[in-house]
Amino acid sequence: MIVAERKPFEEIKAMIEGCKKILVVGCGECVSVCMAGGEKEVQILASQLRLAFEEEGKELEAGETTLVRQCDKEYLEKIKDNIDDYDAVISMACGAGVQFLAEMYDQKPVYPALNTQFIGVAEREGEWSERCRACSDCVLAYTGGICPVAICAKGLLNGPCGGTNDGKCELSKEKDCAWTLIYNRLDKLGKLDNIRKIFPAKKYSVQTTPGRRIHEAFKEKE
Amino acid sequence: MWVGYTKGLLKEIGIEPERLKMFNLSSSMAPAFKDAVEEMIEVAKKLGPTKIQKKAA
Repeated sequence: MIVAERKPFEEIKAMIEGCKKILVVGCGECVSVCMAGGEKEVQILASQLRLAFEEEGKELEAGETTLVRQCDKEYLEKIKDNIDDYDAVISMACGAGVQFLAEMYDQKPVYPALNTQFIGVAEREGEWSERCRACSDCVLAYTGGICPVAICAKGLLNGPCGGTNDGKCELSKEKDCAWTLIYNRLDKLGKLDNIRKIFPAKKYSVQTTPGRRIHEAFKEKE
Repeated sequence: MWVGYTKGLLKEIGIEPERLKMFNLSSSMAPAFKDAVEEMIEVAKKLGPTKIQKKAA
């Protein structure tokens, strides 16, 4: 899932300075799961903003809604009938959702409430870790299912480097050495020969910016 | 855990976090409940009213 965290309250509050009526829009997908931008977080942020404005003697009407997701137009359309009632929109989606909402309603100021961090997994309740950099050239088949691009501090495709130390990274004793993890996993799988494979320089050319993918079934046929 | 988090939310918007406290009580602990209420009354008296005037619905 995409993992994000909420921006500091003061930063969000400063974005809507001068607004009298705002709509806080949550997203029911990844950011709900990582407790950053789902229905509950929408309620908390809207309540905080109302109270903070009231504390300063200002008026603020904060509407709340949470869409199934903000990365699909069909769900973004759900707010088309009432968005004109608001001075601005605060999106609690990841960066993709914020941009898609801003693109669809380009006459309306749309502000992000979250900092999008990474593609990751839930280690345990309330804790997530990065697993994928979306590099468009996956090497997990050769590395025992452990990504050197995301897990190695240097993103080395041919590791370990000289900084590996008892299974930890030279950058921090808290940080596992990705290539020690890979070695141990390959050993367990009986595929240690994979460690001898030398990867050429990463194919950054496949990382088109901005990335775009069209499903085969939707490509125009000749 | 969540009480600490909620105290942080209050602090962010300028409300004293001391206004919130969780007490673990069972339904048979009336004296402890009374003490808890009195403790929070004292906190509220010491801090005074917030500027937030909640309008009646």
